[in-house]
Amino acid sequence: MKTSFTAGIFPFMILLMLGCKPTTTDRINKEASITGIKQLPENPLEMTPLAVTLQPEEKTMATLYGNSIAAKRLKDGMDYGAGSVLYLVTWKGKADPDWFGARIPDRVTAIERVSIGGNGQKNYIFFKGPAKNADLEISKDDRQAKILDIPVATSP
Amino acid sequence: MKLKFKIVLCILVLILLAQLIRPKEVKSSKAPEARVLTGVPLEVAKVLETSCFDCHSAYTKWRWFDKLTPVNFLVASHIRDGRKALDFSQWDSLATPQRNAMLYFALNGILSKEMPLSSYTAVHPEAKLNPKDVDLLKSYLLNNAVSKPANAEKTAKDVEKPALKEIKNSPNGIAYLPDYRNWKAISSTERFDNGTIRIIFGNPTAVEAIRTGNINPWPDGTVFAKTAWKQQKAKDGSIYAGQFVQVEFMIKNAKQYAHTKGWGWARWKGDNLLPYGKTVSFDTECISCHRPERDNDYVFTTPLAINGLTKK
Ligand code: HEC
Ligand code: HEC
Repeated sequence: MKTSFTAGIFPFMILLMLGCKPTTTDRINKEASITGIKQLPENPLEMTPLAVTLQPEEKTMATLYGNSIAAKRLKDGMDYGAGSVLYLVTWKGKADPDWFGARIPDRVTAIERVSIGGNGQKNYIFFKGPAKNADLEISKDDRQAKILDIPVATSP
Repeated sequence: MKLKFKIVLCILVLILLAQLIRPKEVKSSKAPEARVLTGVPLEVAKVLETSCFDCHSAYTKWRWFDKLTPVNFLVASHIRDGRKALDFSQWDSLATPQRNAMLYFALNGILSKEMPLSSYTAVHPEAKLNPKDVDLLKSYLLNNAVSKPANAEKTAKDVEKPALKEIKNSPNGIAYLPDYRNWKAISSTERFDNGTIRIIFGNPTAVEAIRTGNINPWPDGTVFAKTAWKQQKAKDGSIYAGQFVQVEFMIKNAKQYAHTKGWGWARWKGDNLLPYGKTVSFDTECISCHRPERDNDYVFTTPLAINGLTKK
């Protein structure tokens, strides 16, 4: 009687434990993914990451992405050549829920695109992200210069 | 009646006899007086001493019931495993950054609700942490152990890169993967605990797994590379990736790496990419810190939805 009860309760407990495993498809950081900006000519997240920067005042973090021409700078350290396309994607940072000591991307505040044409002509476009501070002023020329100036993250 | 009595007596005798068999830890149970962790406020040290030192230091206090066989074997195994993961007895030999790293490690063990072991607090209720204790640790770290970025004097570009010679394998046999800078960024992190800034790269298998939502467990062939750079402050106040610190890999193969939770772990440090780790099983250190993520296939990062989403 007792043994059959104990024998019966074990599979039951195991079932319970399996059933309680949290579903984790929502491990994707959806808030930080670039939804809702439809006019982007390219998906920056599919480009090569070149640099990371933080803006402590605004509590934002940004990643600089580049197409294959721009990515050459990682190897040769030269200026971006004609045909380069760069994106700076800026996120609000948030505390990492799994590690006290880290901050990770929250919602996108801005996406900026800088391209360099065949004749060296530079072009800047600003895309407002969902977390954009509405009254933030931006000067296109300043931003363009700043983006081209971000030191790339070099590794051996 | 008589038979029952005999059985009870037999069991009692067996229990008494069992007390002769004890783990060596109990025999040498004259624990030295716990020394206060130097350099941190008394009340911070007290929290860790009361709640953690029994398993994470040489200063174990054995209560009488801890010494009973078979409880003592359980306790001894906790101490062995506990000190392997985190040992406060080493405190005096550590430099400040390592001490701070240890405190962040400890606090995160608490925040993930892994520690102190609930089987232990059940019988040692005084070791339970209340929210005030946790806040005390948090605010101590935030006020005293947040790394400040270096000012930009010379940028990474000005420094001549040393020519890389042959890159040695990690002590567990894993070979360096030079190609990761062509992979996609699945996320980035700012680490104020150690003053670094990081990119987490995912190889094409990882990116495909993200696209199809197939990330728990991650499929075989998935590789992550996490690079860390020192934070460097520019004149306008923003912070950039400065000096390269290290790159770390997790390589998924459920069969090949079954003994290390399905992942191959490796780290190369500095501009000359020296493999990290002294022994073959250096990766127990990686696993013990990643353990709170065991329901997420040992992966901390919540990846960005790299492809697909923009098209919707
Ligand atoms: C009853 C013994 C015991 C107590 C008390 C205890 N630990 Fe642990 N701890 C362990 C053991 C055992 C492990 C190793 C787990 C393993 O190997 O499976 C461990 C592992 C850890 C780890 C590694 C990561 C992890 O979660 O596995 C951290 C961090 C940690 N402990 C922090 C703490 C802190 C901080 C306290 C005090 C608040 C504490 N522990 C109290 C036994 C204990
Ligand atoms: C003290 C805790 C700790 C230790 C020890 C540790 N890691 Fe991690 N690891 C983390 C955290 C936290 C993250 C999340 C990203 C971040 O914030 O840096 C992470 C992320 C990673 C990632 C990116 C994928 C992921 O899980 O998010 C890799 C790869 C990685 N670690 C490899 C290693 C290797 C290899 C070792 C051992 C040589 C190691 N780690 C040891 C805490 C640790």
